[in-house]
Amino acid sequence: MAQIVTIDPVTRIEGHLRIDVEVEDGVVKDAWSSGTMFRGIEMLLKDKHPWDAQQVTERICGVCPLVHGTASSYNLDDAMGVELPDNARLIRNLCLGANFIQSHILHFYHLAALDYVDVTAVLNYAGNNPGLKALKGKIAGLAKANDLYPFMPRYESDDYVSDPEVATTLVGHYVEALEARKKAQEMLSIFYGRMPSFVGTIPGGVTVQPTVSNIAAFRSRLAELRFWIDNVYVQDIMTVAGVPAYSIFFTAGDSGGNYLAYGGFDENSQGTEKFLPSGYILANGVSAVKTFDEQQIIESVKHSWYTEDCEGRQPSDGKTDPDLEKDGAYSFLKAPRYEGKPMEVGPMARMLVLAGLELSGKIPENKQLLVPLIKQLGLDAKVTELVTAGKFGILPRHAMRALECKLLADQMDVWLDQLKPGEPIWDPKGKDIPSDSQGMGLVEGPRGALGHWITISGKKIANYQCVVPTTWNASPRDKEGNRGPIETSLLGLPVPDPENPINVVRCVRSFDPCLACAIHVIHPEHNGVKEFRVV
Amino acid sequence: MEEKGVTRRQFIKYAGATAALLGLSQALVPEIARALEEMAASGKPPVLWIQGQNCTGCSVSFLNTNYPDAAEVVLDKLSVRYQPTVMAAAGYQAFGVIEDTAKELAGKYVLVVEGPIPTAEGGEFCTFGLEEGTKDLLGNKVPKDKPIEVWMEQLVPGAAAVIALGNCASFGGIPAANAEVTGTTAVLDVVKKIDKDKPVINVSGCPSHPDWFIGTVLYYLLNGKVPELDRYNRPTMFFGKLIHENCERRASFDAGLFLEDWNDNNPDMKLCLFKMGCKGPVTYADCPTRRWNSAVNWCVGANAPCHGCAEPAFYKDLSPLYEPLPDINFMGINNAETLGWIAAGATAAGIVGHYLYKQLGKKAPEGGEE
Repeated sequence: MAQIVTIDPVTRIEGHLRIDVEVEDGVVKDAWSSGTMFRGIEMLLKDKHPWDAQQVTERICGVCPLVHGTASSYNLDDAMGVELPDNARLIRNLCLGANFIQSHILHFYHLAALDYVDVTAVLNYAGNNPGLKALKGKIAGLAKANDLYPFMPRYESDDYVSDPEVATTLVGHYVEALEARKKAQEMLSIFYGRMPSFVGTIPGGVTVQPTVSNIAAFRSRLAELRFWIDNVYVQDIMTVAGVPAYSIFFTAGDSGGNYLAYGGFDENSQGTEKFLPSGYILANGVSAVKTFDEQQIIESVKHSWYTEDCEGRQPSDGKTDPDLEKDGAYSFLKAPRYEGKPMEVGPMARMLVLAGLELSGKIPENKQLLVPLIKQLGLDAKVTELVTAGKFGILPRHAMRALECKLLADQMDVWLDQLKPGEPIWDPKGKDIPSDSQGMGLVEGPRGALGHWITISGKKIANYQCVVPTTWNASPRDKEGNRGPIETSLLGLPVPDPENPINVVRCVRSFDPCLACAIHVIHPEHNGVKEFRVV
Repeated sequence: MEEKGVTRRQFIKYAGATAALLGLSQALVPEIARALEEMAASGKPPVLWIQGQNCTGCSVSFLNTNYPDAAEVVLDKLSVRYQPTVMAAAGYQAFGVIEDTAKELAGKYVLVVEGPIPTAEGGEFCTFGLEEGTKDLLGNKVPKDKPIEVWMEQLVPGAAAVIALGNCASFGGIPAANAEVTGTTAVLDVVKKIDKDKPVINVSGCPSHPDWFIGTVLYYLLNGKVPELDRYNRPTMFFGKLIHENCERRASFDAGLFLEDWNDNNPDMKLCLFKMGCKGPVTYADCPTRRWNSAVNWCVGANAPCHGCAEPAFYKDLSPLYEPLPDINFMGINNAETLGWIAAGATAAGIVGHYLYKQLGKKAPEGGEE
């Protein structure tokens, strides 16, 4: 008999998320995701000074403020017609890259790993590593005091990694990862002042000149992190992926085969070349990456709490006319669609687009990054198998995130070399607010494709809009009845014990959802919000 | 202690770090060590850390703590029972922990609230966990979402103390700029309605500095009482002094050397950010000396203005963030250059701070002036 399993709160994500799944005969038959917190960030920006937008929008999310602040800077640059100096472009890349590193490490170790590793297995550790022995002592102390919070309670499952040696090593890395991600934030604060809520990017450029000393301070931390990513993060992903019980997760959790990347990390001042390229993939056609065109984005509200008049609009023409009584609606998120289709965004989308461009020869061999790395790690057979099967599930999502982290960290070293102390960091045009103007800033964040749009009128913000990654991934059904990527990914997952739906949270967390980003909107019943769109 | 994997040497080092964090003399290290030992013997205080209209920035900032590190705090010093960003449990298991703790440890747990409480529309703007109710989904009856406002009513009475973590929990912050829609209410105001005598500590800042939060918790644990608070319920040990008084660029302000073009910015000049909208003259926090991210940098250190994120006026009443503070017009002096020349010395800085506070429609915190 079918039963509904409600998971609220979904913890170890950013924000407030509720997931409902219908379980029948131990398998997920259907799924719904909804966000449960609202603030109204876009709305409160109306009539404010345009420069405030970065400081306000970066506070949409405390885990990935960099991506909002950066999107906002590009958006304002565009509205003010600035020419971004190379130093500013590079520093923005470096700081955004540092945030990718901290976010990806945080995600795997602190948000996801406890779904796979049995912390209590540490009690059986019999090795001689002094650090791990100390860790064992610590956990034993907690167990003796019957106080294993926050590691317990948890969903029980018989497939946790419980080999004492492996589990203890992974738990040790969980603790090391706290230091690694902290170091990434220190690195970022060298140019941007502090994290979270950084201050170093402004319309027209950045605030800190590159100097021999701050470049060295950045590089020394980067070197440590690159070593750690190569030797710990990437290796741990391979360890977890190698657990026989998890082999179903190579394909289970597949989001439906459509992937979208706006492209990120500008390699020239016009932003026409990106380190992570843009493109989209339909129906798992990895080797046939198509050219991204932002005009193809529309939003459906068939199952969202908005009137039919909001249906099928482009973001630039978006409308939010709420209808809380609407039949069949179950989410405050709209359902963005590209060419009418749900799209997964994030590290997997970016890496599949990159892989597709490399495999099809659109990126010449001497400039390829991902395919050589996959070969070097001995993963090529597995990747070929998945491409043939046309399914990329939970484990590939984690693995692509780790590979992206490595590629970016390596490239950051190259960007550091390109900085020129003494050269400009700011175009003063950024300070001249036009009376009327429009802007757009598209970037890639740790969780995926992000867009900011601004309309300036009378030197003030007339409208500010953000379309964020988790809106794509956690969207509800659209007018064709197509589920959002997270909903689709849950279908068919085994849930043998509805009291312990561990596989559901494993799958949801693999997307690294950010609900504060997705629902930074306003109450739909309020009259004043109607001219604003909800994303 | 040894069985918990902590050596004597680590312990003394930890006591030393605690002293540094609280701004105490290293001569007090043995005493702190004794207090910490007593604390350890009496069991770890339970903590329930719930999230309102937050962005998780204060949780992330907490993870940036240096001494003691996050693992030490979470595993050795506190019994962190509910913390949605790090805890293993989800769903009913997770909020079941809150309910059990509230029942079993009433009067003992510390309630940390990250983010403010939206009270409009029956609290529907922020919910987590479930309470009794009905909601149609596949035609079945299921429990309904539980507003954080209801959680507050349930958890405040049994809390030993409440810590409002971050500017928005303390004062409403960014979400309060939209309070007319969501009814964003500061934690203190919600608590006062439930129990007007319940101690509430506002550890403000957007985000809160990890030292401010951990320092406050350690002070409370070591002394068994709430630290001295200013008129906004912020611990004076962290929020007692004007940023402007301690700013490394104060000399530039006094000399009238202001940054006006980010390219014209010899890093050694350390130009004053006043003209770029620095809110340091009206902001009480120890950022200039404490700095951020393991003391690597801070906002002014990155040639950017202080945005006043520890103040009740943030964000709405300090906007536009990049425009200079309201023209200073006292004693017949009305521009920054002239004022800079005259306002030498801490007393003058105190007057400036006090004056600007009045301009922003509020009084200076007690003890904030020299």
